[in-house]
Amino acid sequence: MSSTVSHLGHYQAKVARSRATSEPAWIRWSLIAIALAFLSLFLFIPLAAVFTEALRKGFETYIAALIEPDALSAIKLTVIAAAISVPLNLVFGVAAAWATAKFDFKGKSVLITLIDLPFAVSPVIAGLIYVLIFGLQGWFGEWLIDNDYKVIFAIPGIVLATVFVTFPFVARELIPLMQAQGKEEEEAALVLGASGWQILWRVTLPNIKWGLLYGVILTNARAMGEFGAVSVVSGHIRGMTNTMPLHVEILYNEYNYAAAFAVASLLAFLALVTLALKTFIEWQSARSARTTEQLSEE
Amino acid sequence: MSIEIRNIHKRFGKFNALNNINLDVPTGELVALLGPSGCGKTTLLRIIAGLEAADEGSILFHGSDATSRDVREREVGFVFQHYALFRHMTVFENVAFGLRVRPRKTRPSEAEIHRRVHALLELVQLDWLAGRYPPQLSGGQRQRIALARALAVEPKVLLLDEPFGALDAKVRKDLRRWLRRLHDELHITSVFVTHDQEEALEVADRIVVMNQGNIEQIGSPQDVYDQPASPFVYKFLGNVNQFHGRVHAGKAHIDTLALDIDDHHETDNTPAHAFVRPHDIEVLRERGTQPAFSAVVSYINAIGPLVRVELQRQDNQSIVEAELTRERFRELALQQGEAVYIQPRNVRVFLDVPN
Amino acid sequence: MAKRHHVLPGFNLSLGYTILYLSLIVLIPLGAAFLKTTELSFAEFWTTVTAPRVLASYKLTFGASLIGALINAVFGLLTAWVLVRYTFPGKRLVDALVDLPFALPTAVAGIALTAVYAGNGWLGSLLEPHGIKVAFTPLGVVVALTFIGLPFVVRTVQPVLEDLEAETEEAAASLGANRWQTFHKVILPAIWPALLTGFALAFARAVGEYGSVIFIAGNMPMVSEITPLIIITKLEQYDYTGATAIAVVMLVISFILLLAINGLQWWSSQRNAKSAE
Repeated sequence: MSSTVSHLGHYQAKVARSRATSEPAWIRWSLIAIALAFLSLFLFIPLAAVFTEALRKGFETYIAALIEPDALSAIKLTVIAAAISVPLNLVFGVAAAWATAKFDFKGKSVLITLIDLPFAVSPVIAGLIYVLIFGLQGWFGEWLIDNDYKVIFAIPGIVLATVFVTFPFVARELIPLMQAQGKEEEEAALVLGASGWQILWRVTLPNIKWGLLYGVILTNARAMGEFGAVSVVSGHIRGMTNTMPLHVEILYNEYNYAAAFAVASLLAFLALVTLALKTFIEWQSARSARTTEQLSEE
Repeated sequence: MSIEIRNIHKRFGKFNALNNINLDVPTGELVALLGPSGCGKTTLLRIIAGLEAADEGSILFHGSDATSRDVREREVGFVFQHYALFRHMTVFENVAFGLRVRPRKTRPSEAEIHRRVHALLELVQLDWLAGRYPPQLSGGQRQRIALARALAVEPKVLLLDEPFGALDAKVRKDLRRWLRRLHDELHITSVFVTHDQEEALEVADRIVVMNQGNIEQIGSPQDVYDQPASPFVYKFLGNVNQFHGRVHAGKAHIDTLALDIDDHHETDNTPAHAFVRPHDIEVLRERGTQPAFSAVVSYINAIGPLVRVELQRQDNQSIVEAELTRERFRELALQQGEAVYIQPRNVRVFLDVPN
Repeated sequence: MAKRHHVLPGFNLSLGYTILYLSLIVLIPLGAAFLKTTELSFAEFWTTVTAPRVLASYKLTFGASLIGALINAVFGLLTAWVLVRYTFPGKRLVDALVDLPFALPTAVAGIALTAVYAGNGWLGSLLEPHGIKVAFTPLGVVVALTFIGLPFVVRTVQPVLEDLEAETEEAAASLGANRWQTFHKVILPAIWPALLTGFALAFARAVGEYGSVIFIAGNMPMVSEITPLIIITKLEQYDYTGATAIAVVMLVISFILLLAINGLQWWSSQRNAKSAE
């Protein structure tokens, strides 16, 4: 009861600003209008266009484009790539966050910067570096051919490129979160006799679950949507090494717009679900942050 | 279980956190580590717990070396400054945690865990909160749950880091009396860290005053208050007036005054600081036989059992603080701006150490 | 010094795994790119990375990225302001949708923007009669790069604006500043590091972007061809060293940007820490 009231008070304190620190109504509404116009031009109208174009030739064409074998195989490959790269980067993210947030060591900030590297690298280059290693002329090229392994123009290459471009997401989400939470609860568990794994499972992970989920969702969205890096390593073999975004490109270049937008709409829908989940998680973690805040206020 | 601390050194980078610390805590005693923030008291507590490793020196538990013993095997209970309750667990699960993480062989049965957790919650008088989550508790309640959680593993030593630091004044007072009673009941060897001298004086059997990584004094509350071993202890425990002067043959010369002191009869004209507690400042209307400063009453605060009077010395305008009983204050009928005489008693002198 | 003692378990395991995984996935493959360029003499390298077509692509890539980032700096700040300070219907939805460019696959963004801004599209058909061609021109590249950089400025400025205390503004007002002076002299300096960080992030992201651009750009050599596309073209012609040489140039620029962004973020957090005291 009291908490609801205090939230409301908090909310009002944030919204209601004194006359001295707010603008006249006409300025307010003009600024809102300009911002919305900008967002419409670059966000809302293109988003609406995806769904409109997808359904332009009717619902049947739409469904047909989604269930034809090449589309289904692209969906399957996309799911596989995400299903492998998300857990890999999840485990990495937890390990990296544990090492950097719970301990002090030399070169820590360098390490954190290096984890960020894939954000700064063009996806095209991300694909290129794996071609240099595993491609025909690459370091392992001959060995791979001799042993009849395929990496480039095959699923392993697609997975590797996807892992690279989604590499930092979970770690970047968890490192600041775990740094902010400190290590008192872990130390408390340690004094009470818990082992390392017990601390991780019973204390640390439950505390970072929202941040973890957030990172996973972002990783997943990027993994399923990656285009540039995957485009370089895939070889665009229809029904074999095509992911959904690549399939969109092929259809589009064949002027099969309705089908291209049909598959694109599926990806756009995925993006919207991602945003919805993201908003929900932000809401959840803000709520738990507020209760923690009350805890420290008393 | 007794704790012996031998020659502990600890550095953080260039910062000397602890300098050759030696300390014995006998079985069953409640000891306070008292000092300003940054004096190393929390570091020492964490080294005893095994949460921090000393660079040099050793820790003995009951006579056996525990220096390299893992935290988990030290059988200590630790109450963290901000409680460190597990946010996502109920009060019951928080208290049960230490029992549940035991290896299967030594883990008590579910019924036994229930029995023990409820017994502990009753001990801290919060059994009715078992199903709540930490954010739903008040600060004082959280503190007691943290204590119950630490006691659940039946530790041989209880360590508390600023146990009342985050609480407001009223709860603080209640809780420290409660902790004192609890200790008298359980007689578990306990060490707590505090920066609040009043807290240490009221609760502890013995006080260890620390400053800048060194132990300044170890003694009973009476000892450290009445017989401070250093200027630091004097200033840290309670209010004190400080005068600068010289010591010569058993007398302290402070500006125009020559005051008798108990020691330093052999000292020859050495610079020194003299310390006098406010309640040892006698305020007089007429100059008596003893040496006294003439002063003007500059401020009176008559709230509470003692009346605090600020007096401005006429020779050098410095402020001297005096505490009078209400009786004495009424007798003197002091008014702001009046001229009086002040006469220091029980002067303690520390010679300036040349550096 | 003696081996550092860590009380919490798992330091060696987690750090070891982090470094191993980082090396295998990121560092060694990136090193391969630098190693590959050593196959070229410096003269060959220089000729490759300064060929006229390549130079034109740098100009487009960096120029369009810069313009896109500037547009985002201005309108992103405005959007953040509106989202933090004002209430209007649908605000929560708008707030959530700002992140769309993070979540929407770039290929989808590319074809969507093309459909909207092409001559027969919803917006293109309105603009073209006025002589403004967007799709298949460098302007289209700017549009795509504005789209993908859109969330950065909003999301870096927003939290700083939220944390800004109303009291400092009230103080400014009580000292006689008008609203514009307050914004200019009190608010803007406080959010400046965040704004710059957002700008740099948007720019860095835009420089490497591929998916959303190639659909709308038209990809005409010397006119609307971005540098990542040149890398791909060279790869498709099996000119691996040529592709790698250009990639290395872009990598070096990206690293410099990353360092600049880290510096900016550090500056920004220092500022915030100070204002929080």
